[in-house]
Amino acid sequence: MNKIKNKIPQICLIIFLLLLCIIMLAPFAWILSTSLRLPKESFKLPPSFLPTSFHFENYKEVFRQFPFGQVIFNSLKIAVIVVIANTFISTMAGYAFARIDFKGKNVVFLIILSGMMIPVQAKLIPTYIVMSKMGFVGTHMSLILPAIISPLNIFFVRQYMKTIPASYEDAAYIDGAGRFRIYFTIFLPMSKSVIVMTSLLTFLASWNDFINPLIFLSKYERMTLPLGLKILSGAMGTGSVSVVLAGVTMSLIIPTLLYLFGQKHIMQSVVMSGLKT
Amino acid sequence: MKTVTKTAGNYAAKKKRKDTISAYIFLAPALISFGLFIGLPVILSAVLSFFKYNLVNPPQFVGLENIKKMFTDKGLFTAFGNTFKFLLILCPIHCGLGMILAFMVYRAKRFQFFFRSAIYFPSIVTTASVAIAWGYLFSTDMGAINYFVRLLGGTNIPWLTDRVVVYVTIALFSFWKFIGTTFLYYFIGMQNIPDVYYEAAQIDGAGIIQTFRHITLPLLSPTIFFVIITNIVSVFQIFDEPYLLTNGGPGTATRTIALEIYQTAFQDMNIGYGGTISFVLFLIILVITIIQFKGQNKWVVYDYE
Repeated sequence: MNKIKNKIPQICLIIFLLLLCIIMLAPFAWILSTSLRLPKESFKLPPSFLPTSFHFENYKEVFRQFPFGQVIFNSLKIAVIVVIANTFISTMAGYAFARIDFKGKNVVFLIILSGMMIPVQAKLIPTYIVMSKMGFVGTHMSLILPAIISPLNIFFVRQYMKTIPASYEDAAYIDGAGRFRIYFTIFLPMSKSVIVMTSLLTFLASWNDFINPLIFLSKYERMTLPLGLKILSGAMGTGSVSVVLAGVTMSLIIPTLLYLFGQKHIMQSVVMSGLKT
Repeated sequence: MKTVTKTAGNYAAKKKRKDTISAYIFLAPALISFGLFIGLPVILSAVLSFFKYNLVNPPQFVGLENIKKMFTDKGLFTAFGNTFKFLLILCPIHCGLGMILAFMVYRAKRFQFFFRSAIYFPSIVTTASVAIAWGYLFSTDMGAINYFVRLLGGTNIPWLTDRVVVYVTIALFSFWKFIGTTFLYYFIGMQNIPDVYYEAAQIDGAGIIQTFRHITLPLLSPTIFFVIITNIVSVFQIFDEPYLLTNGGPGTATRTIALEIYQTAFQDMNIGYGGTISFVLFLIILVITIIQFKGQNKWVVYDYE
């Protein structure tokens, strides 16, 4: 009897958290099931949280209303290029900071770290001027270039590469390997887990970015997904919410998949950035 | 003997020089892009404060005019006021409720992985996409949320059209979208607290609230400090939520500093003045960050490791 009594708070806690999680996930269920309703019934009450009809036509309609295929391609293209360039820049810099003893190391590292403190909003206008002088406003370059440098990623890579035992590079040195070969054939493959983590964060940041595309892009066929969806929802009014939500659903697929397979790495990034304090 | 050390010294100096060269080759891409896309913008934004500029005509030096203008700009006062309102509402939600939630999930003996995943999930999805969907959910006459309000016997709530209610709306959205971020920091911070402390508390017969108050809270102080500062910094820059849900409205009710910068610079094409506001925002955030570095030693309990 006493045992059961002791369990009551735990049971209440579990029930409360279950309810909360249902509320957290309900909007996603609503988005998905409403995206499958007939457009004219999208606002029909009661709202549905489980799909009751399967009007896949909405998903085709998005592509008819908007250059949606192009927009998805743009988002993917930008994110992939940013991830690749950012990975090279971060790992090369991270390697230098973690593994080479050189003049000015501490000062340069501090300068790079200070870049983390600069808020997005403060960089917006001057970056716009830099891009317009380079002739990149309106092109994807204006989104790619500023995103290839990430002080936080450099920090993460440095922290990780510091933990790799020196014996690996010593052996390579004896074999006569140069710095670049050591970086490329030893440190890069050994840092796979931190690279997966920074790539994941960088990809999501690029994929989800709204304010930069809003400022830099104006042509429909050059837009990225979040901006395209905002324009689409504005243009469609409340007439065919289901069609807009079909677009919304598609924009959530990639983040969801990355989350399902990469949750461990996101956790790791929180653990590692805790080191910073 | 002397010559040996000399050559050894020479060798070390030579190696260091060689290493310095190769290090800067490795750093070159980072330093160039840092200079162009972080360093140069920061310097430009300071310089810009003294110019009138609209991208088309050449910049025109105006001295302190932009800064003087800030002190008489009523729109800017409103934006600062609104941003402070968001700070007062959103920081306690994220920093406080995030911690309570983390503690609850931390104490839950079942489904912990599911709880953690579900609470964090909204944090990583595209803000613009889900904000569009929430805009429909918040719709006054046809929205799903007011349907439940009516079901519970209430009347339609003007979620997006009332100057006061709109703050509740954005707070609800912000809770749903971003609570996972602070939650996860706290949750991991709690996992790092060694079990022995809890075991000791249990032996002493401490209740759950006492345990939280005397063990979790003090040992979590580095995380709490970090979360509060990063949260203040991010709320100071709040843009997506008011832009996407209300576009700063109704009227100017949710116009924040970031929205003001966006409109001044990119809609009114007053780049110089917009740059001045953004530089002031940068200075404010810089001060907060300095407080973080200075303050954490004083406030924070580090000695359990």
